[in-house]
Amino acid sequence: MRPFVSVEELRQAYGPLVVFEGVGFTIDKGEFVCLIGHSGCGKSTILNVVAGLDRASAGRVIVDGLQVRGPSLDRGVVFQSHALLPWLSALKNVAFAVRSRWPQWSDERVASHAQKYLDLVHLTGSEQKKPSELSGGMKQRVGIARAFAIQPKMLLLDEPFGALDALTRGVIQDELLQICAATRQTVLMITHDVDEAILLADRILLMSNGPRAGIAEVVENVLPRGRTRQTIHRDPRYYQLRNHLLDFLVTRSKRYRNGAGNEAARISPIELPLEESAP
Amino acid sequence: MADSGSDDAIVERAVERVLLHEILPRGPARRELLRAIGSGTLFSALSAFFPLGAAKALAQEKSGALELKEIQIGFVPITCATPIIMADPMGFYAKQGLKVNVVKTAGWALIRDKVLNREYHASHMLSPMPLAISLGIGSRPQATHVAAIENINGQAITLHNKHKEKRDPRQWKGMKFAVPFDYSMHNLLLRYYLAEHGIDPDKDVEIRVVPPPEMVANLRAGNIDGYLGPEPFNQRAVYEEVGFIHLLSKELWDGHPCCALGVPASFIQENPNAFAALFRAIATATAHAHKAENRMEIARAIAPANYLNQPLPVVEQVLTGRFADGLGKIQNVPGRADFDPFPWHSMAVWILTQLKRWGYLKQEVDYRTVAEQVFLATDARRRMIELGLPAPKESYKRHEVMGKTFDPAKPEEYLKGFAIRRS
Amino acid sequence: MRPGPGIRTALASLLLFVLLLAAWHLATLPPAAGQNADADYAALIGARKSGLPGPMEVAQTGWQQLKSAFRNGGMNDKGIAIHLAWSLGRVLLGFTIAMLVAIPLGFFVGSSPFVYRALNPYIQVLKPISPLAWMPLALYTIKDSSICSIFVIAICSVWPMLVNTAHGVGSVKREWLDVARTLEVRPLRQAFRVVLPAAAPTILTGMRISMGIAWLVIVAAEMLVGGTGIGYFVWNEWNNLSLANVIFALGVIGLVGMLLDLGFAGLGRLVAYQE
Repeated sequence: MRPFVSVEELRQAYGPLVVFEGVGFTIDKGEFVCLIGHSGCGKSTILNVVAGLDRASAGRVIVDGLQVRGPSLDRGVVFQSHALLPWLSALKNVAFAVRSRWPQWSDERVASHAQKYLDLVHLTGSEQKKPSELSGGMKQRVGIARAFAIQPKMLLLDEPFGALDALTRGVIQDELLQICAATRQTVLMITHDVDEAILLADRILLMSNGPRAGIAEVVENVLPRGRTRQTIHRDPRYYQLRNHLLDFLVTRSKRYRNGAGNEAARISPIELPLEESAP
Repeated sequence: MADSGSDDAIVERAVERVLLHEILPRGPARRELLRAIGSGTLFSALSAFFPLGAAKALAQEKSGALELKEIQIGFVPITCATPIIMADPMGFYAKQGLKVNVVKTAGWALIRDKVLNREYHASHMLSPMPLAISLGIGSRPQATHVAAIENINGQAITLHNKHKEKRDPRQWKGMKFAVPFDYSMHNLLLRYYLAEHGIDPDKDVEIRVVPPPEMVANLRAGNIDGYLGPEPFNQRAVYEEVGFIHLLSKELWDGHPCCALGVPASFIQENPNAFAALFRAIATATAHAHKAENRMEIARAIAPANYLNQPLPVVEQVLTGRFADGLGKIQNVPGRADFDPFPWHSMAVWILTQLKRWGYLKQEVDYRTVAEQVFLATDARRRMIELGLPAPKESYKRHEVMGKTFDPAKPEEYLKGFAIRRS
Repeated sequence: MRPGPGIRTALASLLLFVLLLAAWHLATLPPAAGQNADADYAALIGARKSGLPGPMEVAQTGWQQLKSAFRNGGMNDKGIAIHLAWSLGRVLLGFTIAMLVAIPLGFFVGSSPFVYRALNPYIQVLKPISPLAWMPLALYTIKDSSICSIFVIAICSVWPMLVNTAHGVGSVKREWLDVARTLEVRPLRQAFRVVLPAAAPTILTGMRISMGIAWLVIVAAEMLVGGTGIGYFVWNEWNNLSLANVIFALGVIGLVGMLLDLGFAGLGRLVAYQE
């Protein structure tokens, strides 16, 4: 069966400077994939290309059998800085997206649909507030609600929790996990937070450093689904995975710089020895 | 000659009068005959071989239907426009069946523009303006006429109080003077006056164009040393104790024209009856204004905010000729300002020679032709006779300007006789 | 209890006003009466000796004008309320025309750097031309003096709105536009729902400035063209050297200008947003 999302041979160059090249990966329907890497490796650009907001110098992206040629309601985006329209209330912000998706709906239907998603991110009671009256975490939740409300084929998140404090981040990660489980959303998320990746992702893509960055490793998350923040670190495999990822970021990412060893590294997923049989 | 009673009666009398004048042009003979046999007998005799009845009917019909009921006439709020202005509150327009809107206008350039673009049907103008406009000097050319002169005399040279001891024009080198407009009698008379005293108006002094109300303010501020301007702004300078009246324009040329009723040729052609009614209104108003006993009443009518918007004492002093001169004396010059509608062709020729003299008029012109085209002396004479007003038989006469005689038959010689000139 | 900061600034303003009035009054006190032995002569000379009228005289004259604010004493003599109505009407018309040109054009210019660069030189050259310089040209070509004033208002007040709209539209945050793109928002909806509200505060500032200019221009234009309006009123009173009326009229002009500005400030608050 063909993969839901297929990224093939992406290359981004500005004149002589090649940011990344030979980037390719797949995402299955309902899969949550995280992309981790240092700054400057071009991960945001890859996300934008998949979303259709940017065009790569070479390569293509295929989503559900159709090539990506521009932005679309099929690919919802949660931006790094929430990107809420500041003159609209939280409800109206989400409603704006809902209206874009289903222009023929009545006002009541739009409003109740938007309200449902705001409830999902636990913002009930704050829907009339303008973004300036909301905290950073709340604004990001609205962004998430907005992206989910249009029920896109795939969701793209660009370091959505980077600006939040640890506590808020944790709470919202839980919410995101719940929604994704409930909706079986296909997700591609960029993060630099290893713990977050382990919590949320089914598969983790590791990018080498730029210039001429590429996907260095693809790591399956051996921790089974149904992960929670509270229990995840009790699993012994957690720290193995975590160490592996951190080692990559600290040491191995540099080795793969300038395209060295890209080909070899990409193919082999790391298998961790199982202590006990997975459920 | 009773001309009371209905308009019809007036017209009847007018027709009879014109006919009589044509048949018996010599006044004394005519009057003897009338005395001898009485007008009734005379006219019934005439009607035997001249269809008076038809003529009267024709005249009445022609003067009946007005093409326009409402007419726009512009004016600048100075006393020169007295006949045009007073005809509104004192009912001279209404008597001719006209509804006239006299519109106060901010300046001469605006008057010219609004006449050219037909926002005004006719307007108060400086008498040189129709000549300039018809010749295309300073604007695009359009045939414009002087249908009647509004006022004669009535201007003055006013000087700043500090020049009380400096009244000899020969001492005026380097001073600054103001006039209301380039194509004005004020400008031409001032230049004439200066030149007669050996001062070159372009080289020895500075002459600026300043709107009349700003003349007083400029005088107070010391920006100008004096001006030859229209009333009531000379009297106003005395009233504000800023300046004194150095010379009345009457002393330069007694009977000089100043302002006129300027009418575009198109208006006369398209609306002959309305124009006739307009002329009648203004000519009768002018005649009324000529009489000294009416001046106070007229001052009261035209001083308020809707017209001149000037203090009543100022306007009274101008119109009655009993005025404070700014030097501590009360003077009594009843002829200070006067009103006479007849547009002498010789006046037009004089204006043309002066426009040529100072370089405003550069092309060669046939003085007589232009004068006769623009100043409607013949037309005015006919209408004035119909109204029973005295009208001169000639259209040209000699004028005395500062002691020198101007012969309209010899304009070129006159022009060449000046020591100071630009052409 | 110490008065709050709002009260204190109001009191300071008031004090300043009173001081200025007092200085004005003192400066315009008539000098010692000059002897004019001849009573007859004196009767023919005006009463006031000093040049500028004092505050009392202006107040009295102003009161007279206000009492007869709606009078119609003839073609050339109308009450000040009627003149104000004429002026405001012209301003409204000219401003609206300018707005209908400036905002769409500004949108167009702001959306495209190419268009902006192409049109910018013309904007910069035409912008500084004073209304008094446009008047003669307009009068000569348009030939109707009332249309002429409206044209001059329009041509002078179009620039701040145009420039500000272009600037506002050009500075809309990239990410809001990206949101619209990912939601496949059509261009017209994007213009009205994203670009316009985003640029609205800047556009409204431009409108506020333009209104100030329009009010300024109408007074100047009416002084030149005349007939009706507060500018004509000033000219008419100037003709009579009635400075008290002129000063009163200046006060009215200033007050109305301030009210117009306050109105637009209020509108600005309506469309403002915090990020």
